[in-house]
This record gives sequence, structure tokens and C-alpha cells, in this order.
Amino acid sequence: MNEIDAFDKVLWGLNVCLQARLLVLLLNRKNHRIFPFLFVYLLIAFLQNVVTMASYRIWAFSSSNAVRIAWGTQGLVILGRALAVAEISRRVLESYRGIWALAWRMLVGSAVLVLLYSLAVASFEWRLLVLNADRGLELTMTVVLVTLFLFARYYEVTIEPAVRSLAIGFFLYSCFAVLNDTILESWRNRYATHWNLAGMLAYLASLLLWNWAVRERQPEITLGPALLSQGVYQTLAPEINLRLKLLNEHLNQILGPEAKRP
Amino acid sequence: MSLLFYLFSGLIALLLILFVWSVRSTRRRVPPSTRAEIPDDDGRRHMTYLSQIRQALAATDYEFLSKRASKEMVRRVRRERQSVALGYLAALRRDFQSLLRMARVIAAMSPQVAAVHELERLRLTAKFVWQYEVIRWKLLAGLAPVPQLDGLSNLVSGLSVRMEKAMNELGERAAAAAELASSVNRRSLDVT
Repeated sequence: MNEIDAFDKVLWGLNVCLQARLLVLLLNRKNHRIFPFLFVYLLIAFLQNVVTMASYRIWAFSSSNAVRIAWGTQGLVILGRALAVAEISRRVLESYRGIWALAWRMLVGSAVLVLLYSLAVASFEWRLLVLNADRGLELTMTVVLVTLFLFARYYEVTIEPAVRSLAIGFFLYSCFAVLNDTILESWRNRYATHWNLAGMLAYLASLLLWNWAVRERQPEITLGPALLSQGVYQTLAPEINLRLKLLNEHLNQILGPEAKRP
Repeated sequence: MSLLFYLFSGLIALLLILFVWSVRSTRRRVPPSTRAEIPDDDGRRHMTYLSQIRQALAATDYEFLSKRASKEMVRRVRRERQSVALGYLAALRRDFQSLLRMARVIAAMSPQVAAVHELERLRLTAKFVWQYEVIRWKLLAGLAPVPQLDGLSNLVSGLSVRMEKAMNELGERAAAAAELASSVNRRSLDVT
């Protein structure tokens, strides 16, 4: 434990306190029923802190046992975070049945592609395997969140302020984690001491945002739009597309060589 | 610095820009259910002046003028014709956008959507934006031809009766949803 800098210890303590406050807040406002995966994720992260703290006390900070425990539990934390991000996506779009069916396939597809890509470009050094997997998953979450928000923007879906703040927290943390992991991979020795500190600062910012987001009780059911009958889409979608196509063809004619110059 | 660092930094920067843009856009929006009116009617309004615009852009008029009028006058007419063409192009874009917006609202409020229609619309939008910008820059640079207006009336002469009907349905359902929402809110206030 003595190997850890005093400022790091304070920051770590602050993060654990904010995590605990957030868990209490979720329970107190009964928001754990609305965001069960967020609650589970925070609980896992909180327990990870307790376990690693104990491991640093029993063994040393840089002992192989402590490192194994820290990285081993990290897998569970990331899985919890991925589920919390999936929960946010569902919460945003579930009322819109049609586009949700389209969106979840796109989100899963993009997630798989990004994960494969980030693993493919990573260096396959045994010691960096966990780090690369961590970065791949964090990058996947950022892409999923961006796709979700682009989807919401395109279809003019309103996102609840609390859900938006939670998503921003996840996004910023994951972005930072990707950069942090990449820097660590590039300057392993020089950056190692700052890596933890930078990660904790980013997590602190996200925790503050999440604490603010769930300060009030959230409605259990999101009131979505009253959906149209299926026939309306089947009739109008091809008709509108045809008109859009004709407008495109009209522009194409303007670009054509036979048009007269002014 | 390694290539990997630049690669991931660039990717994160791009994702950040996209995220900020989409978050800012979704903030100001109103749910589709609360504004299910017929989208933007500008497309139809500009059709009122179609015959005048067509006359202003007629090639024969310009040829006639270039033979009879002074150079200064011809230049002025060219400038005016250019601004008419730009206005016409902007009206075309408004038509496109209003159709697009209606399609998105209908898709968002449908219980089932077809990926093929949605992707096709995305492709058409990208194509339109590209062509629109090319023509606009050509017009501004004085390189573009004057748009031919024949056939335009078929495209923008109002939305079909079925669309009007769908929009009415949207309006009715939006009113019902608003009523439901306010009653639920009242009930939750009573409980608390």
C-alpha cells in the first residue's frame, strides 16, 4: 500500500465514496429498478475496489497476485459496464418498437465489428492481451453510444435528461480509457505511474455526472408515442422513397450535359 | 509516437465530434408525437410561382435578350437568373427535407420498419446532398447550367391524399398520447 502515492490514495477513497453514494442514491430513489444493470455494474465496481484494496494490504501493490486480482476482476467490471450501456440503449428506443428492432441489430453489428477491428490492430503481446481486450471493449462502447445518439437524432427521438447524462458519463469514461490504454501501451514504463491516476480522474468525473443524473426518481415506464397502424408505413415508405428518388433524378438532370447555360 | 496512438486518437476525436453533434441535436427536439402536423409546406408555396420562374429561366428569353440588350443589362439578367436558380435549388432541398422528415416521423411511429427502405432513404439522402452541393457551387461559380423546370410540378405539387390521411392520424394519436401522458402525470402527482 505504501507504494501508492498519497494523492492517488485520496482520489481512490473519493471514488469509492462517490460509488457508495451513487449506490445508496439508486436504492433510495428506487432507481435500481429502472436501471438494474447500472446498479449491478456499480456494485461490481465497488466490490472490485474493496477486493483490490485488500489484496494490496495482504500482498504488495506491484505483486503478481495483486496484479492478477486487479485485472481479473476488471473483466467483470467491463462486462457490467457493457450491460449498463445496453440498458441505456434499450431505455432510449424501446418505446419505438419499429426502429428499436432495427437499432439493436445495428448496435450489435457495430459492436462486433469494432471489437474485431480493435483486437486485430492490437499487438498480440501476452502481457498486453488484457489491456488490448479492455481497450477493445471500451472502444466498442463508445461506438455503440455514438450510434445510439445518431440514431436518436435521425429519428428525432427525445432522450430523457437522466439517461442522456448517464450515457455522457459512460461515453467520456470509455473515450478516456481508450486513450489511456493506448498511451500505456506506447510508453509502458514512463506512463505506468500516471496511468492509474489519469483513469481515476476520468472515473471521478463520470461518477459526479452519474450522481447528478440519478438525483431524482425516474419514471418506471417511458411514455412513447402512440404508434401508427402497420399499413401506414408499408404504404408511405416506398411512396416517399420514390419521390426522393425522383427529386434526385431531377438534380441529376440539372447536372446533365444537355442543360442550357445562363 | 506509435501509429497505433495516432489511429486511436483520431478515432476518438471523430467519435467525440459525432457524439457532441448528436447530443446537441437531440437536446432541442420535441417528441414526434407532439408535433405530428404536415411537415413544412414551403415546397408547395414555391410552386405557386412556378410559371414565373420557368419564364425567368427560359433559354429563348435569354437568347432574345442577348441579341437586343446592352452588355450591362445582359450581365444583370445573368446575375438575376443565377439567384433565381439558387432559390429554386433551395426550394428543391426544402421539398426533399420535408419529405425526409415525414418519412422519419412515420418510421419512428411505426410498429415495424423495413431496413431496406430505411437504408435506401439514407442512400438517397447522401446522393441528394452531394448533388445539391455540386450544383450550388457550380451555380455560384457561374459554371452550372440553369435548371430545367419541366416535370417539377409532378414532384412537388403537394403530398398525396394518403399522406394527408396519415398525418391526420398522427395528429389524432398525438392528441390522445398527450391526454394519456397528462393523466398519468396527474395520477403520479396524486400518489406522491
